[in-house]
Amino acid sequence: MSFECHEPSSVTDAVALGARFGEEGRFLAGGTDLIIQMRRGKVGPRHVMSLHRVSGLDRIEADGAVRLGALVTHRTIERCPAFQGPLQALVESAAVVGGHQIRNVATVGGNIVNASPAADVVPVLLALDATVTCLGPDGERTLTLDGFLTGPGQTARRPGELLTSVRFDQLPPGSATAFVKAGRRKAMEISVVCVAVRLTLDAAHARCQEARIALGAVAPTTLRARAAERALEGQPLTDEVLRRAGRLAAGECGPIDDVRASARYRRLLVETLVPRALRRSLERIGRAA
Amino acid sequence: MSTGPRVVGQRLPRLDAPGKVTGTAVYAADFALPGMLHGKVLRSREAHARLLGVDAARARTLPGVRAVITAADVPDVRYGGALKDETVFARDKVRYVGQPVAAVAATTREAAEAALAAIDVAYEPLPAVFDVEAALAPGAPLIHEAWPTYTAIPILHREGNVCNRARIVAGDVERGFVEADRVFEHRFRTGMVHQGYTEPRAAVAVWDTSGQVTVWSNTQLPFEIQNTLAEILALPPSKIRVIVPGIGGGFGGKLRVGVEHFAALLARRAGRPVKIVTTCEEELTAAYPRQSTRVELKTGVTRDGRITAKAGRIWFDTGAFAGSGPGVASVATLVLAGPYRIPNLLIEGYAVYTNKTNCGSFRAPSGPQANFAVESQMDMIADALGLDPLDFRLKNIVREGDEGPTGQVLTAVGLEECLRRAAAAIGWADRRPTADRGKGLACGWWTTTGGSSGVYVKLNPDGTVALNTGAAEIGTAALTGAAQVLAEDLGVDLADISVVSADTFATPFDFGAQGSRTAFAVGNACRAAAADLRRQLCALAAAQWGVAAETLTVRDKHVVGDGKRIALVELARLSQASGGGLIAHGTFIAPPTAYDAKRVEAHVYPAFHSPSFHAHAVDLSVDRETGEVTLHRYVVAQDVGFAMNPTYIEGQIEGGVAQGLGQALSEEIVYEGGRVLNPNLTDYKMPTTLDLPRVESILVEHPSPVGPYGAKGVGEPPNIEPPAAVANAVAAAVGVRVTTLPITAEKVALALSGEATP
Ligand SMILES: Cc1cc2nc3c(=O)[nH]c(=O)nc-3n(C[C@H](O)[C@H](O)[C@H](O)COP(=O)(O)OP(=O)(O)OC[C@H]3O[C@@H](n4cnc5c(N)ncnc54)[C@H](O)[C@@H]3O)c2cc1C
Repeated sequence: MSFECHEPSSVTDAVALGARFGEEGRFLAGGTDLIIQMRRGKVGPRHVMSLHRVSGLDRIEADGAVRLGALVTHRTIERCPAFQGPLQALVESAAVVGGHQIRNVATVGGNIVNASPAADVVPVLLALDATVTCLGPDGERTLTLDGFLTGPGQTARRPGELLTSVRFDQLPPGSATAFVKAGRRKAMEISVVCVAVRLTLDAAHARCQEARIALGAVAPTTLRARAAERALEGQPLTDEVLRRAGRLAAGECGPIDDVRASARYRRLLVETLVPRALRRSLERIGRAA
Repeated sequence: MSTGPRVVGQRLPRLDAPGKVTGTAVYAADFALPGMLHGKVLRSREAHARLLGVDAARARTLPGVRAVITAADVPDVRYGGALKDETVFARDKVRYVGQPVAAVAATTREAAEAALAAIDVAYEPLPAVFDVEAALAPGAPLIHEAWPTYTAIPILHREGNVCNRARIVAGDVERGFVEADRVFEHRFRTGMVHQGYTEPRAAVAVWDTSGQVTVWSNTQLPFEIQNTLAEILALPPSKIRVIVPGIGGGFGGKLRVGVEHFAALLARRAGRPVKIVTTCEEELTAAYPRQSTRVELKTGVTRDGRITAKAGRIWFDTGAFAGSGPGVASVATLVLAGPYRIPNLLIEGYAVYTNKTNCGSFRAPSGPQANFAVESQMDMIADALGLDPLDFRLKNIVREGDEGPTGQVLTAVGLEECLRRAAAAIGWADRRPTADRGKGLACGWWTTTGGSSGVYVKLNPDGTVALNTGAAEIGTAALTGAAQVLAEDLGVDLADISVVSADTFATPFDFGAQGSRTAFAVGNACRAAAADLRRQLCALAAAQWGVAAETLTVRDKHVVGDGKRIALVELARLSQASGGGLIAHGTFIAPPTAYDAKRVEAHVYPAFHSPSFHAHAVDLSVDRETGEVTLHRYVVAQDVGFAMNPTYIEGQIEGGVAQGLGQALSEEIVYEGGRVLNPNLTDYKMPTTLDLPRVESILVEHPSPVGPYGAKGVGEPPNIEPPAAVANAVAAAVGVRVTTLPITAEKVALALSGEATP
């Protein structure tokens, strides 16, 4: 493993380096994915561009729309007061990434660009209809997160482009989110399945106005369970409706068998965890009202 | 003398604590010498293949490369324990993915890795066998075609891919089944697991100009490594010095030669010191993990719950070499019989070759696998008979004076007390307190391994004492326990003892840190040495005072008697002025345990010495939908004979339980087609603190007549019962009986959903 290390001190410099090295370069944020992949020989960049001197990308702005700088760590998300209410799923997901040491350095931008189908924070962002902003030599582009994630480890990011931020709208009244994860251990665990949901109820809290369900580790990318979402929208959210959404979600995902779990078990988990997360969201809306 | 022990039995801090807590203790992986090279091992990519050629010419020319060795460069010897079937490098063929094929030493690790990549190996794949069933099938490919020609201890029963079949026969098992009202047959399986020591295997070797090699290694058995290296290097043991600087955990995985021989061979070739530290991937693909097993149990019981007969067979997948297999298969038969009165037994343990990594010993080798089957079945039978599992066990357990499975007479049997106290502590009366919550029990027995120990004890000029032992402090605080015994018997404080250990040139022989024996055997050797030193001290004082030595005693750091006292520091000065100082020698060998030789065949370990007895109880909940298990409480009642230092015994219990719960719930090295699918700690799942419950220890003391102050071996037993206890509690909680390890959430959930039999 031999490479050159660069330490740009501004977004402009980082983008310039990114443009210069293209496919041969990799940005390093927390390094918790990149370094391991380099050590295992999965990637071999000639140039590693550390972002630790780049300022301005580690902030959370939450007046109006929410903007997370790409270098915001999971620890920062976990502790962010703005996420204690309806956006709680962000805290729930960030709080179970690895262990303390990982969360202190690992970033939301890394979680997104790494594009693991098992990433924990990504499904929550997907359930929030987030967009991502990339900056390259040709300027800035904003894409939906859903469109950004194209395959395992693959995104629509162009070679050398820097992810600068991820953005989503505040939730309307009568909304809540929830995140649940299953794995073999209670910590330091890669999701066998993870589920993020967002619910918005109508003014009377009688029916579901809008639903988002995102599934991790059951498809080549983090996946929206659209059929399940549709089955909720406009409906009163009885337990039977929630369970039906679980069954639909289990049907529309495409898990594989691997050393962590069988496809069969992953489907069973989706069927179970989707209603569980939805129930939790409903309780949260009820409690907030 | 004094009124009861002052030092031994007390909760005193271990002697090696400051260095380990502050990070200044030196472990083998820390060890470095000037000019040291880095060694790396090239490992087979094929599971079973003829080795057509190993071409290292290109590797030898690479920058920084100082030595490249292959089978052609090393003595052609077969070595091993009970069965000598191993070679340093694969010769005619490779037998598992991960088998060493060549090794290199270079100025940097990166250069060594580049050299490995430049060695060309040509393989011609052969049909392979990846599990016991395939290895035993008629016409299965032989892993070792030349097995009849190998050197082995004569008692082994070998045949083709079976490298030992050990057997216990007692009574008449068929008659026993006829006497039974019900006969139960069950099958179980357990997965391959790694010891999970924190420090990978590491060694540094250097040769001097006289042709002597010194190896610093984190081995548990320096004297065994000395002998193995003598075989491999074709040198007398006197040319081989093995020193253990420190061990970051071993649990049986560092008993046998790991990287010491590569370091020594490379260092000889390069003329420079060579260090090798294994990677995590090497640990999980080419170390000495715990064997996976298959078990069949057939047990006959009367209607009122008395066991009349048991037929049991356990097959160990020992991998491509015998390793510990023949011995482990033997020990297993005693565990499979269990701590129960069973008049009629036919128990067999098989060690079977496959094209996988060579398995070894892991904390109570065979214990967890065999106990999982035995204790799961005890609950299954109790359920079928409508008996309480505790009552069923109490009806059948061995008691004082009973015979063990091979006819040994059992004494100091604390099993009933262990069972009753563990059950009481877990709240057994309320076995299913709420929905999806249940409690499980399991009990067992284990040995205190024999073997001899020697110590030297030297009086220091300041009246303190140096304990010189060939045993290594593996992390259990066993040597602190032994030092407590020594301090007690010499009338000094624990802080007055300093320990020098594990150097084959400087310390007396010791059978090694294995088999729960270190505190037991070294402690007893300390008792003998203390008696010798007391005699010498009294003789010296007696000569000063002109009195008979027999009238004097050693107490409170003085020799006293005849109305006088003289401090040890003064005697130290006197002895140095006149007699070259005082040094005492103490030795110990566990007396043989009598057994009925007619009951055993091909058995390497026919009786348990100073056996310990234990019961575990767990309280857990199961998530019915996801299958996830949450552990609430865990109780261990263990008969330790005498608690030399309760703090560290509790430490052993907590650690052993944690490891056992890993095997129970989450850990498994998964093979597919001869390759490990999870050779990393991302997917080899050892439990974290959040996965583990509080472990409560109850120390039961039925003193061993042989152990120091009555102590029994304590290190291995806590690892035995967790899988069975968990399986029983899961069954109690949700009615699902998982008969394979690990008991993953997936197995539980799929069984609950009716989709699969676990
Ligand atoms: C022990 C351990 C446990 C883990 N547990 C979890 C877990 O439970 N859940 C989970 O989701 N993940 C887990 N991970 C994975 C990892 O921590 C997360 O994905 C993390 O968010 C990655 O962030 P990072 O800053 O470390 O990324 P890095 O490793 O620095 O980068 C990851 C990838 O993204 C690229 N990149 C990073 N930032 C940018 C940017 N601003 N613009 C363009 N490209 C960029 C890098 O070039 C690289 O390709 C774990 C990792 C470890 C080592």
